Amino acid sequence: MFYISIFFQYMSQYVKTKLQYRTDLLVEFLSDLMFQGVNLIFILVVFGHTQLLNGWTRDEIIFIYGFFLVPFSLFAAFFNIWDFNERYIVRGEMDRVLTRPVHSLFQIVLERMELESLLGGITGLIVMGYAVSRLHLSFHWYDVILFVLFVLGGTFVYAGIFISLASISFWSDARSSIMPMMYNIGNYGRYPVDIYNRVIRYVLTWVLPFAFVGVYPSAYFLRKTEWYTYSFLTPVMGIVCFTLSVLLWNAGVKRYRGAGN
Amino acid sequence: MYAIEVEKLRKEFKSYSSRSGLAGAFRDLFTRNYKIIRAVDDISFTVKQGEMVGYIGENGAGKSTTIKMLTGILTPTSGRVVVNGMNPHKERERFVQTIGVVFGQRSQLWWDIAVQESFRLLKKVYRVSDQDYNEHMDHVIETLDIGPLLDKPVRKLSLGQRMRCELAAALIHNPPLLFLDEPTIGLDVLVKLKIRQFLKEINEKYNTTILLTTHDMTDIEALCERVIMLDEGKIIYDGSLQRLKQNWGEGKQIHFQFRDIVPKEELMLLVDATWEQGEDRYSWIAHVRATDMAHVIGKVVSSYELKDIHIREVSTEEIIRNIYEEGIHHG
Repeated sequence: MFYISIFFQYMSQYVKTKLQYRTDLLVEFLSDLMFQGVNLIFILVVFGHTQLLNGWTRDEIIFIYGFFLVPFSLFAAFFNIWDFNERYIVRGEMDRVLTRPVHSLFQIVLERMELESLLGGITGLIVMGYAVSRLHLSFHWYDVILFVLFVLGGTFVYAGIFISLASISFWSDARSSIMPMMYNIGNYGRYPVDIYNRVIRYVLTWVLPFAFVGVYPSAYFLRKTEWYTYSFLTPVMGIVCFTLSVLLWNAGVKRYRGAGN
Repeated sequence: MYAIEVEKLRKEFKSYSSRSGLAGAFRDLFTRNYKIIRAVDDISFTVKQGEMVGYIGENGAGKSTTIKMLTGILTPTSGRVVVNGMNPHKERERFVQTIGVVFGQRSQLWWDIAVQESFRLLKKVYRVSDQDYNEHMDHVIETLDIGPLLDKPVRKLSLGQRMRCELAAALIHNPPLLFLDEPTIGLDVLVKLKIRQFLKEINEKYNTTILLTTHDMTDIEALCERVIMLDEGKIIYDGSLQRLKQNWGEGKQIHFQFRDIVPKEELMLLVDATWEQGEDRYSWIAHVRATDMAHVIGKVVSSYELKDIHIREVSTEEIIRNIYEEGIHHG
């Protein structure tokens, strides 16, 4: 309960800060909107050329992409920790975080919130809507619940991987360039995994389980029965990834060396 | 019951030393040279509730490292720390509820939002009730005179203004123990005085324990009866400031400004004291015991023509400097 109320406190503070800079807010909103528009056109152009990919139709691939955008935008809005090393370790901001009676990771999530990223999720929904209208899929009432579960699962898979990467900073001082690379690898999760070779497929499923952010959960809604086991594993993977990463984080905090002043 | 109990506390850092040159850099790739640096070396001390303690030492003596272990930021390598009856890093979240921290060189407030919004957020974070907040903070805000600053964003405040707000922010939950790491660094005299005044008041009113590190000895003189002095990770002095001054600074300095140039040898023959050259060739400083003062002045005045003369006590700053230069066992 306490954490929920703190969450809303920070959120309202965030909104207030954003509202302070009115022109900035407007510019940012418009540029985000334009970015999403360009994104949308890009997707349609790229997939305009592919009709069939290893048994997946063009519209199915578009659907996967649309789905992927939803958990990804949630991740981008709340787990904006790619610059954790510089911002918190090198500059010593972690000291401040650690003197407050709230879990350190939770504080960082709250401080680094970027709610405008949620716009990407709306783009995702539009893309999915477009794909659905062409695929003539039908849904049950409980699919809504599953959709929410799968989206959350995917978000936590993403979050878990990036929290683990951020935790490495506790052990090594070196600035790692792993983060941007990981964003690239993350993109592989939004294409059907069976187009890749076996090793890559294995990695994307069990090592860096990005496939659980895009393909696997989407397969359920596309009624690809052969992938159902993986689809339903999505929330489980989310919980596992996230739990492991938080444990790693906690171990890392114990190793925190602080920045000299 | 002690507010702080520290026993054989130690913190070691592993640090890599890189070899020089390109060839050295290649060798570093394969075998790293590292050495273990002991930042805090088996220190033990206790602080009673309500005490104001000055924690002093040169840069790199281990002050900040100790404070960070006491506040639960760093995990000690070995030793025992009990602060407010808890183990700081083990029960971090419960523990920090009972302390306030001000790092002079690092802001605790949110840069972009108004000061009062920062306060409100911290009030939530520390779970302070409206009633407690109003009762306590009205007083704090009034004493620190930050009422007019509350609706300004932190980034628009001057350093002195910000520091007063930082102090108020650290006290939102009215902690029984306050850690201040260089709270007056870079502040002007008036702000310093105000902050000292405020700390004294808080200490009297709530019996707040205060542990303070600073390079400004006037802070220590104004606030602390007890000092703990640190050098290379070890405690070299722990006791009253009074005693430190008696052992080290009982002498006086007499500054003579002569009309003519006087050689040191002559002065040495005249009176048995430690002579030191002053700002120019005409001035000499005699370090003497207080009891010899009249005798020395009498002798000098009767033998030479003087332009000026004044007497100074040895400042705490000088005492500290002497201790670091000569070691604690001299006095």
